[in-house]
Amino acid sequence: MDQQGQNGLLATYREGWRNRGVLGIAISMLLIAFYTVLYWEHKVEARFGVAPLTALSEGIGLRNRWYLYGLLYSVAMVGGAIYYLRRHGNSRYNRVRISVNVTIQIALGFTLPFVMPLFGGKEVYFSYFWPLKYDYLYPQTLESLPLYFAVYTVVGSLLAAPVLALVYGKRWYCSWVCGCGGLANTFGDPWRHLTSKSERSWRFEKVSIGIVLVLALVTTALIAVDWKIGAEHPTLHRIVAGNDWRDWSLKSFYGFAVGSILAGVVGTGLYPLFGPRVWCRNFCPMAALLGIIQKLGRYRITVKPGMCISCGNCSTYCEMGIDVRSYAQTDQSFTRASCVGCGMCAHMCPRGVLKLESTSRRRLSVIDS
Amino acid sequence: MRIVIIGNGVAGMEAAMAVREAEPAWDITLISEESDHFFSRTALMWVCCGQMSHRDIEPLERDAYARFGFHRVRARAVGVDTAGHRVHLAGGLEAVPYDRLLIASGSSPRRGPWPGSAAYGVGHFVTMQDLGWYENEIHGGASRGGGPPRADAHLAATTEDSPYRVRQAAAAVHGRLARKPAVIGGGLIGIEAVEVAVSAGLRPSFFIREEWFWPIALEPREAQWIGQRMSEHGVDVHLDHEVEALEVDPMGAVSAVKTDHGRYETDCVVIAIGVVPNTAWLADSGIELDDRGGIVVDEALQSSAPDVLAAGDCASVRWFDGSRRPEQLWYTARDQGRVAGRGLLGKRASYTRGTWYNSAKLMDIEYTTAGLVNWDLEGESSWFFEEDGRVRSTTRIVSQNDRVVGFNMLGRRWDHSVLLRWIEERRNLSWVLPRLREASFDTELVPPLQVPGA
Repeated sequence: MDQQGQNGLLATYREGWRNRGVLGIAISMLLIAFYTVLYWEHKVEARFGVAPLTALSEGIGLRNRWYLYGLLYSVAMVGGAIYYLRRHGNSRYNRVRISVNVTIQIALGFTLPFVMPLFGGKEVYFSYFWPLKYDYLYPQTLESLPLYFAVYTVVGSLLAAPVLALVYGKRWYCSWVCGCGGLANTFGDPWRHLTSKSERSWRFEKVSIGIVLVLALVTTALIAVDWKIGAEHPTLHRIVAGNDWRDWSLKSFYGFAVGSILAGVVGTGLYPLFGPRVWCRNFCPMAALLGIIQKLGRYRITVKPGMCISCGNCSTYCEMGIDVRSYAQTDQSFTRASCVGCGMCAHMCPRGVLKLESTSRRRLSVIDS
Repeated sequence: MRIVIIGNGVAGMEAAMAVREAEPAWDITLISEESDHFFSRTALMWVCCGQMSHRDIEPLERDAYARFGFHRVRARAVGVDTAGHRVHLAGGLEAVPYDRLLIASGSSPRRGPWPGSAAYGVGHFVTMQDLGWYENEIHGGASRGGGPPRADAHLAATTEDSPYRVRQAAAAVHGRLARKPAVIGGGLIGIEAVEVAVSAGLRPSFFIREEWFWPIALEPREAQWIGQRMSEHGVDVHLDHEVEALEVDPMGAVSAVKTDHGRYETDCVVIAIGVVPNTAWLADSGIELDDRGGIVVDEALQSSAPDVLAAGDCASVRWFDGSRRPEQLWYTARDQGRVAGRGLLGKRASYTRGTWYNSAKLMDIEYTTAGLVNWDLEGESSWFFEEDGRVRSTTRIVSQNDRVVGFNMLGRRWDHSVLLRWIEERRNLSWVLPRLREASFDTELVPPLQVPGA
């Protein structure tokens, strides 16, 4: 039977592992350790003489440790999805959204990239777009991709993603397709209440996500310039792309700081301490870009006037740290750039005050940044 | 100008913020015995089960008093000297002088009239201190979200009859948590106390005096569904039971509920038989109270005493049907607080009550009501439709003299503002039915209600 609100009361704060208890901290440290080894296994190998993840991958018949990561990622999403659906699966929106997201991860994020090389193809990820998958718009990368996929990624990143965000909001990507968002909403769901709702955290978010977006745009642009004229300008080439993959360059810095540290180690490693959307909220350039577009588009959260009782279930369970209650209790329908449209505020609301909408029927009363 | 507000609930806090917005320099003092911070009383149940923390139910950040420049007095007000313009406090604290006073002291739970009602293990579920008691009975303490800050700060300045005193839990007397809680009173607070016990894995007994659950809001077919859902969740629902006494064991803790149908063992009792205006402390102040204890106010929320206003649950206001009663609702307290804020500023404002509406969630069933239902109107007829497919819902539309006057909906979400507009436009049933979908507020992907013949 379909229902709209959550099914029975939740015991969120009665569970230590979900509230920065010893077990929660241990899970966080384990995740950080895992990502550190995953990204810098060559350093581990140089120091200790073993490459644990590579050894394990080869032991179970996977080509390298990135396939092991993909497998673990998919398993974590499936397990998390079961956890999530047991709590919130009585809502049709939650059920459909999580099923689609997990299916896309398993099919396009793991299986297809694993299978393609078996048939002589190049492994490509259909579910990731620039600027999240930042190198997919580097001209050097595009040159090396099969033509059909180069067209797919250019059209997807520059045309389809923005247009869909205008029509449906950024949720079409962040909550239905994206693997990062998918992991956050499944494996990360137990910790969604830990995202800070303070005004300070909102100010931090606006600055930090802006910086990463600018960095992503500048890096992509300079790499394109380097592709065009780098051969005649060795100093530029050295600074932008480096002569060797070990060189510190703008390209390798972006990959290290954003791709590895912020998206992986911090983004996932801190789930049990700061909520599951640390990366998406504060650092993801794709979320930043789609968020700006979202504010120009149709998507909004409609508030039923005069019905809010200020209980705060919506704010508590907002994984993006939006103080939804502050809008609901003042009868303001709203669009926030950071909202990923997971639908949890509407799901948790005990009075049915909130509704996610992207039809053109109702008018907005406020637009807040 | 010295503004004093008794009560930092939604009415008091709305008024304080309205004054501060217009007058940055005025002296504003909020007196609250119950809590350091404004919190949402409607959210106590979620704190108790662990769905939310104490911090989560506070709509403002914790530096709000400092940011708005409000003085905080954490003490019990015990009287108002209307001639001398002073509020007297318990605990020998100095009286607080005012130029304009707002009384927004809210409700207190109606005490149990039965023998044994004061035993250990018997409490209510209305105040922050009630929450602390019930948390102790069911869970042995606050969740990992922590208890309220300075929970005992008021104990130096309180009185014996205060609804904010701290009760000792029977769990502490027995040395174990509650195993078989009982809830008396078939209304909204009652079902909340029941749900909290269910979420802790218990099978509470629910004693309801009436023939069905919540008869002021639901009719038998609707209530039967709620009752069925409660039973499915392990609640022992006892309808038509008149409680006669609470039995107390030799340790002074409650041990059984005796009703006209028999004796039921228990170790924790929540009495949820309604609330009364929290105005007993005003008895000697000369401020006029009505026979329910509500502070009599005019449209501008002025009481009978000069420079004294009242708002929220403690105020008796004029209802849409002409009667004068307190309105014990969150959103009316908020609206009254805004009107009182203008009054405190010395501006004219009047409070007018629109058509009745409300919503809630009963177990996991959504409930929306608008207009007049269950009012025994002359010439009334009801259109009732029960849907039990992918969605289960009931729709009841009440008409009087061929005009729609009320809606009572379970299982789906509805935009009450559209329903209220139809009532005001005096539409008839055959006009409303084919347009019902326009008032739907279901979440995306929920199949729409198919109304027969529309």
